[in-house]
Amino acid sequence: MKRWFVGFLLGLTAIFALTPMPGLGQTPATTPYTPPRTRDGHPDLQGIWQALNTAADDLEAHNASLGVPPGPGVVEGGAIPYQPSALARKKENFEKRATLDPETKCLLPGVPRITYMPGPFQIVQQADKVSILYEYRNAVRNIYMNGNPHPRGPIEWWMGDSRGRWEGNTLVVDVIYFNADTWFDRAGNFHSEALHVVERYTPTTPYHLLYEATIEDPKVFTRPWKISMPLYRRQEKEVEVLENACPAYLLEREWDNPTSTYFR
Amino acid sequence: MSHRILAAVTTLTVVLALWLVVPVHLSGQAFWPKDTPKIPMAPTWIAQKAKLPPYTPPRTPDGVPDFQGMWDGAGGDGAADIEDHEYLDVTTPAEETFISDPPDGKVPYLPWALAKHREIRAGLGRGWPGESGPRTHGAPRSLCLNSMPRVNVDGGQEIIQKPGYVIILASTIGNWHRVIPTDGRPHVGPNAKFWLGNSRGRWEGDTLVVEVTNLNGRGWFDTAGNIYTENTRMVERWRLVDANTIDYEVTIEDPTIYTRPWKINHPKRRDGTDKRNLRGTAFAATAPSQAAAAGFTENVRPAAVDPYEKEVWETACFEGNHENTVTQHELGFKWFKGVTPPK
Repeated sequence: MKRWFVGFLLGLTAIFALTPMPGLGQTPATTPYTPPRTRDGHPDLQGIWQALNTAADDLEAHNASLGVPPGPGVVEGGAIPYQPSALARKKENFEKRATLDPETKCLLPGVPRITYMPGPFQIVQQADKVSILYEYRNAVRNIYMNGNPHPRGPIEWWMGDSRGRWEGNTLVVDVIYFNADTWFDRAGNFHSEALHVVERYTPTTPYHLLYEATIEDPKVFTRPWKISMPLYRRQEKEVEVLENACPAYLLEREWDNPTSTYFR
Repeated sequence: MSHRILAAVTTLTVVLALWLVVPVHLSGQAFWPKDTPKIPMAPTWIAQKAKLPPYTPPRTPDGVPDFQGMWDGAGGDGAADIEDHEYLDVTTPAEETFISDPPDGKVPYLPWALAKHREIRAGLGRGWPGESGPRTHGAPRSLCLNSMPRVNVDGGQEIIQKPGYVIILASTIGNWHRVIPTDGRPHVGPNAKFWLGNSRGRWEGDTLVVEVTNLNGRGWFDTAGNIYTENTRMVERWRLVDANTIDYEVTIEDPTIYTRPWKINHPKRRDGTDKRNLRGTAFAATAPSQAAAAGFTENVRPAAVDPYEKEVWETACFEGNHENTVTQHELGFKWFKGVTPPK
């Protein structure tokens, strides 16, 4: 190909890339957004955020069913790359989700599931850690940025061990040390204790974070895979993260239920 | 407070509770020998703080008193009973009352409420003097249900301040958080009820005053059946009296259950600064090998120099408590639905 022609193509590409195209994307990739800084000089992601999609129901594309809204899915490439035996387990999980889904027992939902549970969360930054205060389960998650690596294992935690760092304006969080008892959604998508999640929180406007999570688990998947979704800054005046004490509501329902299967 | 010790003790306490075949008391952060001197609480603190010199706290960049950092609970047995009591067992040493007002250190219940409190207490299956009745209720905290004001008493906290907010995070037991706006906004609507209520703060001089409303009346002040209602309002006063001590006072107001407003008052010490030895002997629980022997390998940290000492690690109270919940249910303890004042 002639050199001038390549230059011409590149020029055209640049023109298209720089031209806002209304309706094609929510955030035209013109100039990258520069977020405000905290007193420590890091990008300021603080505030109350919430996902607005159906990932909590199913990470993959799904039609509506009774009580479940439809959704296009949040998995890059569309399908989660299960190993064959794991796919069979996923299908079994789906069939028995009414009893097997850890959400029905109000257990801590793990990462990334807690990010897209219904309800907001609040990000609070300090110099050596980022804390996320979730409405669901009133969970507190501390993402350490104090220079300590993941501690020595073996450790199995419901929410894993989170270690963060800044890459430009992006908060990158490396999470390991999960147990095998949490799911990714209400559709039975699951993992083992070998789960490794890398989350990326990138401010794209004053009102949006791009949330990406790369998911790796050699016992369950054939390769790493990725989900992504925008997180929206809650706009209501005087919005606050309220209390969702799921275990209390569950115990109250089950305690006097003579046919309850909870107490065994 | 050493998070390493607490993580191990929290789990070991479950073992202890099953061994005693009584409801778990996660508040029992240590094992107390019988000859432990009575744990000082409100009466001792009132006398001590009267002698303290004036103190001007440091300020945040926003110009308000700086409470930030990691803080202990009240120490002692974590409010087994907020009223004065004698030694009960290894989880519950003799302890002074938490109540600074009225002067008798007793909750000023109306007659119906006192009767209800005594009825609950008589059936706790806990070994308190005078227990006789059928099983009543286990303490909500023993089911890992957090409520005001116990979250300030029986576990550690981290305080973070941001312009217009004071944020309090659980740092030792379970999951809870309070984000307290200090911008003058109103409370949420009165029909919304919460275990921790709804908090609104303001500054009065160097004191952080927090009004807590919207309480659901399901929580207890302790493990001994001291109760409030969904009409109760709590007003907390947080004041630094030296660099490492918060004078924590909460006034409880509810004419539907009490004869008068009353107060809980105790110090909260900055993590790692408490020299009063109020935590008993956490004997084997500090040794990772012991915890491992008890089957708890997850939360045990390296025994040597620990760069993670200041970190808050997962405790997941509810997740680890299922067997105890089942035991309480099987023993016939009833679900506590709160109390309704007579018309």
